[in-house]
Amino acid sequence: MTPGAPSSRHLLRVWLTLSVQSFGGGTATLALIRRAAVEEQRWVSGEEFGRFWGLVQLAPGINLLALTVLLGRRAAGGRGIVLALTGLLLPSAALTILLTAVYAHVRHFALVQEALRGIVPAVAGLGFLTAWQIARPLLTYPARPAILLGSALAAWLGTVPVLAILLVGALFGAAAENRRRP
Amino acid sequence: MTHSLFGWLLFFWLFLKASLFSTGGFGSLPSLHADLLARRWASERQFAEALTIGQLSPGPNGLWVVSLGYLSGGLPGGLLALLAILLPPLSVVVIERGYRRVEHHPAAGGFVSGLSLAVAGVFGVALLSILRSAGFSPRTGVLAAGAIVLALTKRVPLFGIIGLAGLVGIVWR
Repeated sequence: MTPGAPSSRHLLRVWLTLSVQSFGGGTATLALIRRAAVEEQRWVSGEEFGRFWGLVQLAPGINLLALTVLLGRRAAGGRGIVLALTGLLLPSAALTILLTAVYAHVRHFALVQEALRGIVPAVAGLGFLTAWQIARPLLTYPARPAILLGSALAAWLGTVPVLAILLVGALFGAAAENRRRP
Repeated sequence: MTHSLFGWLLFFWLFLKASLFSTGGFGSLPSLHADLLARRWASERQFAEALTIGQLSPGPNGLWVVSLGYLSGGLPGGLLALLAILLPPLSVVVIERGYRRVEHHPAAGGFVSGLSLAVAGVFGVALLSILRSAGFSPRTGVLAAGAIVLALTKRVPLFGIIGLAGLVGIVWR
């Protein structure tokens, strides 16, 4: 344990609190984590938090989890990583599983089926909005929309494995950026 | 879904692979959508259900994958899905070491942007097929567009939008 490092109980409590407060998706959760890490706990400076956020874009999987790993490590090394992930995921994953289990029991009721007929299109609509919000800030020069449309077309045709589409898109993005400002 | 050891290993691998080659909470959807539907381990409907439950529960958006794991493989499926989304982000510790060298290289940023755009493109097509499973009708169109408009106003919380859509589903036949 590094001298001056926060106690395990304290770290766990901070992340548990973040977990149960984090309704409303990624942006809301990111804002909560930022306030706790930079302003309240002072694990990192604002500038460093920004660097962490850029770095986790390169990591595979859920960016917020990679960010949690970096912040946990900064606070208390390996112990910090375990505590941060446990605190963030234990309540939220348990609640997700609980909600799903409850849903699996009631899904056959006619009323639930009817409600779902309304919810499925709405959730798809929200998904389109999310996809657009991810893509729009990146559409800065002509090669970029080409990646978006090209990968959508390839997925639509259904003959190319999804993984290949993603990899080609990423490599094309790297080559285009390199050519633009070498 | 098959409950043999090999079946579970393949199940875990499909979730892990989707998470490894993704970025962001929804990045694993295109790959999972293709793999699970092809094996009939999940339906379009279950994807929509998992996304809904993921939106309603706290924590990172990416936890919708845990819900999908539960719907297609019960409690073991949910726990395997959780493990599959937990492992890949740990690699950030290794990535950080190399990052300082490539941080200012344009190709590094371009790679992530290209990946995000490809995810968005494939994600859109996967959503279209989920939408098609609900049946293309004026009702479907109004609900999808209505949800987008309400979300854009930023006045209505997600709970409200999903609850309202559920009510519309019950009332508008």
